[in-house]
Amino acid sequence: MEPSDDRSGTVLEIRGLCCAYGRKQVVFDLDMLVGRGEIVSLFGHNGAGKTTVIKNVLGAYKPSGGTVHYDGVEITGTSARSNVHRGMALIPSERFVFGDLTVYDNLLLGAANLKDGDQQAELLSQVYTLFPILEERSKQLAGTMSGGQQRMVSLGLALMSAPRLLLLDEPSLGLAPAVVQEIFSAVRALADKGLSVLLLEQNVGQALRVSDRAYVMRSGRKILEETAQQMRARDSFWDLF
Amino acid sequence: MLAVTFDTVRQLITSGIVNGSSYGILGVAFALILGVTGRFHFAFGVLYTLAAFFAFTFFDRVGLPFLVSAAAGVVITTVMGVTIEAVIYRPLAARAGSNALLAIFVASLGLTIAGSNLIQIFWGAQTHSLLGIQIKPFELLGANIINIDVYSVTTFVLLVALLSSLLRFTGLGRAIKATRSNPEMALLIGVDPARIYLVVFAIASLLAGTAAIFASLKYSVEPTMGFRPVVLAFVVAFLGGTANSPVRVFLTGIGIGLIETISSIWLPVRWTQLVVFVLLVLYMISFSINRAMFARVRSLFAGKA
Amino acid sequence: MQVASNFIDQILIFSIFALSLNLLLGYMGQVSVAHASFGAIGGYAVGYMALTYGWNIFVAAAFGALLAGVVGAAVALPALRLSVEYLILLTLGVSSVLLGMFTTFPQLGGTYGLIGIPTASIFGHQLLRTSDWLIPLAVILAIVYGICHRLGESPLGRVLKGIRDDDKVTLSLGKNVVFYKVLIFGITCGLAGLAGGLLAGFNSLATPSQFGFDVSLAIFAMVIFGGTGNLSGSIFGAATVILTKPLLEWAVSLAPETAALWRLTLYGILLVVLMRLRPQGLIPEGVNILHPRTWRTARPLAVTSDQLPKAVVAASQEWETRLEVTETAAQEKQREVKWADAPVVLEVSDLSKSFGSIVAAAELSMVLRKGTITALVGPNGAGKTTVFNLLTGFIQPDTGSVKLNGVEVVGMKPNRVAGSGMVRSWQDVRVIPRLSSLQNVMMGVQDQAGERVIPLFANAGGVRRREREVRAAAMEWLEFVGMTDFADTPTGALSFGQSKLVALARVLSTNADVLLLDEPCSGIDTQWVEAMLSLIEKVREQGRTVCIVEHNLHVVDHLADHTYFMELGRITDQGTFKELTSSPRLAEAYFGTV
Repeated sequence: MEPSDDRSGTVLEIRGLCCAYGRKQVVFDLDMLVGRGEIVSLFGHNGAGKTTVIKNVLGAYKPSGGTVHYDGVEITGTSARSNVHRGMALIPSERFVFGDLTVYDNLLLGAANLKDGDQQAELLSQVYTLFPILEERSKQLAGTMSGGQQRMVSLGLALMSAPRLLLLDEPSLGLAPAVVQEIFSAVRALADKGLSVLLLEQNVGQALRVSDRAYVMRSGRKILEETAQQMRARDSFWDLF
Repeated sequence: MLAVTFDTVRQLITSGIVNGSSYGILGVAFALILGVTGRFHFAFGVLYTLAAFFAFTFFDRVGLPFLVSAAAGVVITTVMGVTIEAVIYRPLAARAGSNALLAIFVASLGLTIAGSNLIQIFWGAQTHSLLGIQIKPFELLGANIINIDVYSVTTFVLLVALLSSLLRFTGLGRAIKATRSNPEMALLIGVDPARIYLVVFAIASLLAGTAAIFASLKYSVEPTMGFRPVVLAFVVAFLGGTANSPVRVFLTGIGIGLIETISSIWLPVRWTQLVVFVLLVLYMISFSINRAMFARVRSLFAGKA
Repeated sequence: MQVASNFIDQILIFSIFALSLNLLLGYMGQVSVAHASFGAIGGYAVGYMALTYGWNIFVAAAFGALLAGVVGAAVALPALRLSVEYLILLTLGVSSVLLGMFTTFPQLGGTYGLIGIPTASIFGHQLLRTSDWLIPLAVILAIVYGICHRLGESPLGRVLKGIRDDDKVTLSLGKNVVFYKVLIFGITCGLAGLAGGLLAGFNSLATPSQFGFDVSLAIFAMVIFGGTGNLSGSIFGAATVILTKPLLEWAVSLAPETAALWRLTLYGILLVVLMRLRPQGLIPEGVNILHPRTWRTARPLAVTSDQLPKAVVAASQEWETRLEVTETAAQEKQREVKWADAPVVLEVSDLSKSFGSIVAAAELSMVLRKGTITALVGPNGAGKTTVFNLLTGFIQPDTGSVKLNGVEVVGMKPNRVAGSGMVRSWQDVRVIPRLSSLQNVMMGVQDQAGERVIPLFANAGGVRRREREVRAAAMEWLEFVGMTDFADTPTGALSFGQSKLVALARVLSTNADVLLLDEPCSGIDTQWVEAMLSLIEKVREQGRTVCIVEHNLHVVDHLADHTYFMELGRITDQGTFKELTSSPRLAEAYFGTV
């Protein structure tokens, strides 16, 4: 989360990525870039393959083809564990907290890859500053909180690993517009400090407000690549889904 | 039979707690394995028996001091538990995919059958005594028990307290709970499930081995000693809830011990051992009815990819 | 001679145990570690009836089978919805209760059991020597094999395998899953009771240890050894487990007690090794040792090819050109007019469902019209799949009505809804992987004589005739989707796109008027999407009523005659797809505020 002026550096570079679940190929020949401090949105209908992309990037699954570079280093097919250590964090669209653990436990779990106790304390205080409600509710079981609060827990959990690339899967799902706005603003603020974000969304409107660039996928393939500004200027998105 | 004296009740409650705490500790161990790893580790009973036989051999045959022998028995069991997970269950699970539970159950069954017969081949079918601690009567609040009961209950309570502090206060404990609570998410934040599983098998085997040592001291060492405790451990684990805290599972075990002894007030002794299983079957029936309703609720959300 | 026949008798008796457990475990997929304790019911029935009332052993065994069957059917009820680990626990509990009861009743001899059961006799012949038992036991085994084979390798067996691999899909295709589970539990436990009765008669005693938990495990091991889902394998498994002991005594000259221990040790280790190397058992499902042709089935399934069936290629190419062209508003309006003229097949009114405070569906009203395609669209989590669950009885609505051709279907179980003419597909395909494409499609055909018990045994000719018809019908539907080349391929070896075609054929083969297709085009590549579109259009031309849930709006645009828009469990708008997409409010609901 250190501020960085170098906005040009590429954090994530995906080339010709193909992904499959067993017999079912889901992503075909995908190219994509995420720069430092950039929020890149990835849109597409349900089942277009967005989630598969980020799970393969993180290493939860191994891609069936193509390459993934992170900070210039090839990480295709490396384990999720090592990529988390490298500074990636992924928040899934559902079941993104440990429901029967306290908020505090959830946050500390995010910091499991840190050796340094001081850094952990500092990150914790940063997360508490960003979402004060988490400090108030630190002893509450995460599963008993409201949907929006659980989203905050999950963001806090991810930030506790001091990530440099955040992969966010539909953070707006099931949330009221005001809450979505709050969460998106928080993400924007983090990106302004140098965090790179790949944002998967169906809520195109809200996502475009905070994004720098956008990609659109349909049935496993990339069908569009634009700046957020260009995309906002479109009069309809129906033909992209 | 209806005129129950206060003394009888006091005695029954005390022995219920004593018996129940050993069901409880085994339940805690089994629940930890099933809850975190999802492995139906039936071979748990063989490990339990082996701990007793190794301790007996080191003490009675080799002549090591009792505490050393007991510790050696428990350590060997722990190593075996971890080895079973690493060498047998893990590769099986990787291969069997969605059928992993049944495949592992069958393999575990195989281990049980092979293990319990190997024990008879090596040690014979007869009953041995582990005379490591001299048995002395002990009076506790007017109830008559023996000194070993006091040691065992104290040890079990300590172990459960240790385990729950491990789960509550350490990073490893949090990682274990995280894996139990939400394995996919645990993987995403970089927790290595393979490592957690090994730790869980180590802890559970250690608990089981310790329980076996106390059972051998109080009763005897014999090839079939593992069967009933293990079946009770399953029952305790399921009734207590495999996702719940060890304290709660332990208390469930004590509850079952109490039900067993207290039911002897109204039932002939030969019936009391059945009570637990009748309760289990009744519980499963009500569970099945609840699940029917739960399944409907879940199918609502299952539609979402 | 007597020694040999002693072992053969045991093999014959344990084959009955193993066969019946295999029907339960291998065919229907229900785990039971209580099989020997159902044998105990038979064994004690024989002991008690023969000792107390002087009944003939075989009559008493039949009586014991009946008793065990009734208890087994009763156990099926709580077992209906349990997953494997709970089934293990439940049957473990049942086993403990049954054995505990037998040990507890003084009338049944307590721990010692019933001893000195009189010698069995059949047609006046006393079965004094073990060799006297050979023929009666062989005959009984043959009958039991016949029963299990008839149940397992028949249309009914197909349903059982469906339940084993995916009971929800089987239910959705109109099969009464509850009935089959209770039936098979009853029959298999009954057969275990029979075997137990024979064992007690053969040994002249009924003791708790004879039917102990370890015996249940041994029977379990026999089934696993032989191969689940393969009946001849079970006999082979029983023989292996039982013959290891004399073999060890003879080959390694071990003392009988030691040999018994080594035998158990060996088969314990073998179970572990088997699970690792050959989990399907020594003789896997579908293999007949006498027919080498069937041996290859043992090989693991591998994807054959991802070729789009030739028959479908043409159709997909036609679509490709059509997708390029955007329909004019006028053309679309024309379709809408045609839609409005079509007669209503399904009428949904005021359907609501909530779970506590969560509203899953609120006052849903919609109609599906004959020979048209209706689409449900809406943002994620709007509850579109829930609508399918509500319509087909997988979730019972709180209020409202669903009239299919004028008949109320609310309150019906899913299998009855399917029988009434409304069938759904599943978004993750859910074909039965171990069954061939053809068998998968055959499962969809309604009203099969061979799926009912009485015709199966009483009217073999009728069953065979109907099975031929079913096969022919299923072949037609496979041809319709262009998958005849893969008729005999297990669907587990098909590519995802190919299994989607098989799943479509399976839904079509039900002959249901109304087809609810859940994401028919998700997860497949462009060419396959086009093929799917052309097939769904053909289905419409046949006059069937189709409703799709689809997130690929491109697909909706080209396919739907009428579209309903859903938000948060409510239908908030309807019209042609173009009408809906021109509404700024719906765009906001779908994409968020821009």
